[in-house]
Amino acid sequence: MAQWNDYHHEDEDVDGEERDESGVDYKSTGRDSLVFLVDASKEMFIMGEDEEPSPFDMTMQCVRSVYTSKIISSDKDLVALVFYGTEQSKNPRNSFKHVYIYHDLDLPGARRVQDVDGLRGEKGAQVAGETMGSGNTNLGEALWCCSNLYSDIKLRLSHKRLMIFTCRDTPHGGDSERDRQARTKASDLKETGVVIDLMHLMKPGGFDVSLFFCDVVSPPEDEAELGLQMEPCGKLEDLQKRVRAKEMKKRSVARLNLCLGEGMNVAVGVYITALQARKPNAIKLYRDNNEPVRTKTRLYHTQTGSLLLPSDTKRVQVYAGRQIVMEKDEVDVIKKFSDPGLELIGFKPMERLKLHHHLRSAVFIYPEEEMVTGVSILTLLRRCSVRNVFALCKYTRIRNSPPRFLALVPQKEEVDDGQAQIAAPGFHGIFLPYADDIRTLDTPQLPTASESQVDKMKEIVHKLRFKYRSDAFENPVLQQHYRNLEALALDLMAPEHIEDLTMPNVNMIDQRLGSLAQEFRDLVYPADYNPEGKTAPKRKPAEAAGGTEKKPKVEMSEDELRGHVQKGNLGKLTVPVLKDACKQFGVKVTGTKKQELIDALTAQLTK
Amino acid sequence: MARSAKTALVLCLDVGFSMSNSAPGQEPPFQQAKKVIQKFVQRQVFAENKDELGLVLFGSDNTKNNLAKDDQYQNISVHRQLMIPNFELLEEIQNDVHPGSQQADWLDALVVCMDLLQNETLGKKYERLNIVMLTDLNTPSSPDQLDIIIGNLKRAGITLQFFLPFPVDGGGSNPPHGGKALSREQQQGLEMTKQVMMSLDEEDGLEEVYTFSDAIEKLSVFKRVEKRPMAWPCTLTIGSSLAIKIVGYKAVCEERPRKSWSVVDAQTHQKDDIKRDVVYCLNDDEETEVQKDDTIQGYRYGSDIVPFSKVDQDQMKYKTDGKSFAVLGFTKQSMINRHQFVGTQVLKVFAPKDDEHAGVALSGLIRALDDLKMVAVVRYVYARNGNPQLGAAFPCIKEKYECLVYIQLPFMEDLRQYSFPSLENNKKYTPSEDQLSAVDSLIDSMMLVEEDKDGVKKDLFKVNHIPNPQYQRLFQCLHHRAVNPSAPLPPMDPWLTTALQRPLAVATRCQAPLEILKKKFPLKEVVKKKELKTSKELFGNSTEEPDAKKAKVDEEEDFNLADITEGSITQVGSVDPARDFRTLIRQKSLPFGEVCQQLTGRIEQLLGNKNMNYYIKCIPCIQTFREQSVQVGNADHYNSYIQSLKTSIPVRGLQEFWDMLVQDALTLINKDEVEGSTFSSHDAKQFLTAGEKKEEVVAAVVDDTGDVDDLLDMM
Repeated sequence: MAQWNDYHHEDEDVDGEERDESGVDYKSTGRDSLVFLVDASKEMFIMGEDEEPSPFDMTMQCVRSVYTSKIISSDKDLVALVFYGTEQSKNPRNSFKHVYIYHDLDLPGARRVQDVDGLRGEKGAQVAGETMGSGNTNLGEALWCCSNLYSDIKLRLSHKRLMIFTCRDTPHGGDSERDRQARTKASDLKETGVVIDLMHLMKPGGFDVSLFFCDVVSPPEDEAELGLQMEPCGKLEDLQKRVRAKEMKKRSVARLNLCLGEGMNVAVGVYITALQARKPNAIKLYRDNNEPVRTKTRLYHTQTGSLLLPSDTKRVQVYAGRQIVMEKDEVDVIKKFSDPGLELIGFKPMERLKLHHHLRSAVFIYPEEEMVTGVSILTLLRRCSVRNVFALCKYTRIRNSPPRFLALVPQKEEVDDGQAQIAAPGFHGIFLPYADDIRTLDTPQLPTASESQVDKMKEIVHKLRFKYRSDAFENPVLQQHYRNLEALALDLMAPEHIEDLTMPNVNMIDQRLGSLAQEFRDLVYPADYNPEGKTAPKRKPAEAAGGTEKKPKVEMSEDELRGHVQKGNLGKLTVPVLKDACKQFGVKVTGTKKQELIDALTAQLTK
Repeated sequence: MARSAKTALVLCLDVGFSMSNSAPGQEPPFQQAKKVIQKFVQRQVFAENKDELGLVLFGSDNTKNNLAKDDQYQNISVHRQLMIPNFELLEEIQNDVHPGSQQADWLDALVVCMDLLQNETLGKKYERLNIVMLTDLNTPSSPDQLDIIIGNLKRAGITLQFFLPFPVDGGGSNPPHGGKALSREQQQGLEMTKQVMMSLDEEDGLEEVYTFSDAIEKLSVFKRVEKRPMAWPCTLTIGSSLAIKIVGYKAVCEERPRKSWSVVDAQTHQKDDIKRDVVYCLNDDEETEVQKDDTIQGYRYGSDIVPFSKVDQDQMKYKTDGKSFAVLGFTKQSMINRHQFVGTQVLKVFAPKDDEHAGVALSGLIRALDDLKMVAVVRYVYARNGNPQLGAAFPCIKEKYECLVYIQLPFMEDLRQYSFPSLENNKKYTPSEDQLSAVDSLIDSMMLVEEDKDGVKKDLFKVNHIPNPQYQRLFQCLHHRAVNPSAPLPPMDPWLTTALQRPLAVATRCQAPLEILKKKFPLKEVVKKKELKTSKELFGNSTEEPDAKKAKVDEEEDFNLADITEGSITQVGSVDPARDFRTLIRQKSLPFGEVCQQLTGRIEQLLGNKNMNYYIKCIPCIQTFREQSVQVGNADHYNSYIQSLKTSIPVRGLQEFWDMLVQDALTLINKDEVEGSTFSSHDAKQFLTAGEKKEEVVAAVVDDTGDVDDLLDMM
């Protein structure tokens, strides 16, 4: 998330509000870490029915997708991959038997993605069998080993999570000694702030969490959640969804008071749930060793050459020829209106929220968990939702940030069949535009379609219906960028091909429409109308008469031109004429300035 | 794109003596009119357009115009020819435009203005010629030429606006609310004004007559500079065989100020005196600088750093084949979540103005989508080098037009799928019936949309009618600073503050329900709140909002540090002399007398600053001094110090500090406390009485400083 900071290369003074929106500073909060602890026993390699991939294969696909998504969206997070129940052991000093650290806790990189790729599919299973094999299980040792991973990290970790992937509900096959040992180690881990999740996979006869794992995993964030997600995952998609939901620590961009009225404050967190991910900025490397270089920006005085401190400068704007000077502090304080917070103005019926009143990604407002006042927010949420109203609030995110108005739209909780949360309970904060943000347009007066025309279009729309899902489209620009990097990092011959889902599937569309497109065209367009023509139809005849291409209007003979050159009055010709002349005599010009054209022509013709 | 369309406008201000007349307690019309002009010019200056402005004063003591001849057109002065307005004009208006002692015919002034406009716009292109007349109409004017004047106005295409001290329809014989009744001249003038305005524009003519007070209110809002909407012509495609020509316009977009701040040298205010310089250095201890040419471009890929030259990048990057507005398919409107909209703009998509066929085709699509409650999911590419977007095109049917509304949708990478603890199925969070109804009545009392008697819905708080307060404030400050360069920034305009608050009617209405709500939802986090508040006070100056946790950690660290360093204290330091003193006494590493000397040295040092904060720091020192002396059983050092301190008080002007000692009853140590003392308890008390007279005053002072005391204690 921190990387988003870098994507905006806005001017210092164009208020970096959006920049702040997404800004979570890792320096102050530390980094997230995630350990995948994967069962490598024989059971994990059994293929499912109907060609379903084996649990191990599914897990590897999941790990891979987390690796790549971490690289793209939060590349400061640390990830580790550890197997337990292996034949071979690989860990520092090999003090833990049957535990195989595949990847240490570190940033995921291209090599690691490739490694995990190597463990996928049938071939992957073979590789896994050769390198690690399946052997005894001792989860306690595995957990101990993981806890060492965390403690070896010198960086400050803000969030520690451990995910256990297994399809065995009794890993030690009834060995109570080992069960006990695992429980103890798990509680040790939990004490040090590690959250342990169970990603249990389908097994014949069902996975019974209560047999063992209920004592190992962290208690859910609240009681209500206990009921959820106790079903094992049977499908890759489910597993991925579950992992994704857990994998990222929610971070609030602000913790504020929602002020309902004098003396009635409720603490809420402000979160961002959708924000455009952008290509990160390039970094500068030193040519000799490919190490990143640091940039230092300095201000200095042009006359004296002395370095200037920020306090040695002021800010100006010029209006009507007059320079208006302010201190930097004044520039900042001008933006201050009120203290940070959300201030309730009132309520409006939902239909007053206009679709086109959109300025930027919405925020999500959720009561601060540790505060008891969650109940008042919940009540508000419920009543707003029942009465179909939204709350209008004034939003000041930080000191010196000018106010914006938010429509707080109630969102009721929704869960899917697998009891996974699709929509979290809380308020969506929609940013509302000010008068300045709305532009007045001249709307053209044009005839409207007749009923039969509309009906024909309805048929077309009907043919091309699909179920939109917001997470179904990948950003081709980003994907291509990262594939390129991946290819360069791994010395691949060519980057992996990406499928551009934003491209319309023209063949499929044409096929589905059949004759409908032609029928609609016949209904709305006259026979001689070309909707793909470059210019407006009125001008068409003129253009047709003028020939296929714009010819140079004034063809100048070489002699004529030479005459001009000799007399030195090329300057009297117009720029288009000069350009045409350049083309005519094959003179290459780099610029479009008149003098450049003249110079180029003169040089050519005086040779 | 230079805009050739500009306006020429002449402000015609009546400065005649009647303009200075006003009912007691009311602002004279002249002052009001001047304000209107100032606000208007101000607005023009900041708009920085090419509009030109002239200023004609009539009723002035002097005469200066082209038409003046004999006794014609007297007391009319062209103060400024047509020019682009600037701050000099603003200053002139502020300093040089004063009420005159003459009167002049406003019709004559109008003719001078017309003459000015016509002469100075000759041969230049203007979109609009306009005269703004500000007068109280209190001069007799001859109506015989009215028709000629109207004819000329019409012929020259000059528009006219009137600003009067009274409303146009409140005229006649009825006195306008509370004010003076109109004079006969004014009534006549009003009739003539009506006649002029109606003949220029039969229907809406009178709408161009304003009152001063209205105008001031409206002109207080800095109007943004209208941007010409940029057309984005493209073709909407559905598959390969269906295309509709379209034009897109930005309809909603966060408006940024046109100008940004530039950095100048604080002394010279010159931009050129400052240069920003970026240097690259290696990440080694010496921070070795390297040349820009010796650097190459790279990207992070997780833990890897991949060198990736610009050339390679351009070669390998994703490329689009130009503009696109291609339909991928259609989906139910309900499948699109409004809170997942991304991007920073909304486009409205029309058919081209002159293309009826495209209009019909697009209308077909819009209506079909509207009927079916569906949207088109579209691939949008702005231009060849633009990145593709995925977006939804919603149908939008208005009375006057139809269009598609395009808004960008997120890519998978843009989404953060957080899950939050459930609120619904949680027993902890089950509201009672009482609570539900309390919230309900709050919602009722705070509804911003209400129906009036006629069933017409009225919105009390339209955000999209509020000008962006950030820019209002910015321009207010810029203007103020431009005219008063050395004055501090002005306070916020009251109207702006009000515009951002809960409407008064609602604020009053919701009082009672709020009180009930407070009772139904007792705030249990009071303790936490308070903590947060103190830390806020402490770190109030930092730019970031402090959180309680952070403050706590800091405090702890402080404490630990103190513990650790305690062992190595060798002398009484200046940070916390009292603590050091205590530690040293306990350690017994130095003789008592020497430690006392060190402490008194520090106290003297602190008192030398003659500042309440330092006095406050001294008090605990003396307290500790006394305490420890009693404990050790040696009163000599303390008593002699206090005695010498007392004698030096008047000379050093430390009465204030002495009063504090008295307040804290830091008496001499008496016999009862330490045997060796030479003072009886009575003597010791008596010793302080010198300051008793002032005690009352002192008490107040000390009370006031209580907070500061606490604060310093904590630090």
